[in-house]
Amino acid sequence: MNKVSRRSLARYAADRLLAGDFAPEVAKAVASVLVEDKRLNEAELLLADINFELESRGKVATALITAANDLGDKLRIEIKSLVKKASKVDRVILNEQIDKSVIGGLRIETATRIWDKTVARQLNELRKVF
Amino acid sequence: MFNIPVQFAEASEPASGIGAFNINLKSFLFQLTTFVIVLLVLKRWVLPPLMTTMEKRRETLEKSLEQAKATQEALAQAETRAEEIIAKARVAADEALAEGRKTIEGMIVNAEATAAERAALIIKDAEARLGQERQRLRTELRAELAELVAAATEKIIRQKLDKQADRILIEQSLKELA
Repeated sequence: MNKVSRRSLARYAADRLLAGDFAPEVAKAVASVLVEDKRLNEAELLLADINFELESRGKVATALITAANDLGDKLRIEIKSLVKKASKVDRVILNEQIDKSVIGGLRIETATRIWDKTVARQLNELRKVF
Repeated sequence: MFNIPVQFAEASEPASGIGAFNINLKSFLFQLTTFVIVLLVLKRWVLPPLMTTMEKRRETLEKSLEQAKATQEALAQAETRAEEIIAKARVAADEALAEGRKTIEGMIVNAEATAAERAALIIKDAEARLGQERQRLRTELRAELAELVAAATEKIIRQKLDKQADRILIEQSLKELA
């Protein structure tokens, strides 16, 4: 029996989610396929593919925000607005992580693009300029 | 022998004419005949072989002289020839020597040119390596300088960038992205 490709599985999950199916049920169905095919190591990549499908269809964009300090509600709203406008999606989900190594600024990473405005990145650019 | 005519002359009387010389005609004729016979004998049997021998001897001498002359001429020719050969050999040797000298000079010139080219290549290669090394050191120095500048900047920013300043920085970034 031929294995279902990861992209096909992602499209299937996106279709069911957009159709209004209960998310845990969709996750259970997809997970059963991965277990059946012994492809559990592809779970992270499959999630990224599902996010890509949802964002590409203009429905949901999941953004990972990395900053050195807590953003606060006001900044979160601004970031959501920015991502929504840039990705042309109906809804934006923010995932935040605090990382002191970025020093300052923030990095926004979605399934289709990355905005890196961290001080660490600018220092690296400075090193490259020399 | 001469006593006989004298005896005949003493026996005869003094006479006039030829007799005044005390010559006995008979004796004279006898002596003449004898002389002629001896002469004929000599001419018939002695002189021809003698002449032949002398002629042969003369011819032999002439031949020897001719041979000597020919030999001398041959020797002279040989000497001339030898001198010519020696002269030619000397000229050839001089030419060969000159040619050899010319060849050696050419080889020396070529060797000098080759050595000069090789030296130039070595110098050029050394200069290129020196330039590369200089460039490498410059790059390393620049990288170290960049690292120092970045490290210093990071240290200063970490000291200066508090939460409030970070927030302002993020707001500026969002405005740039919008």
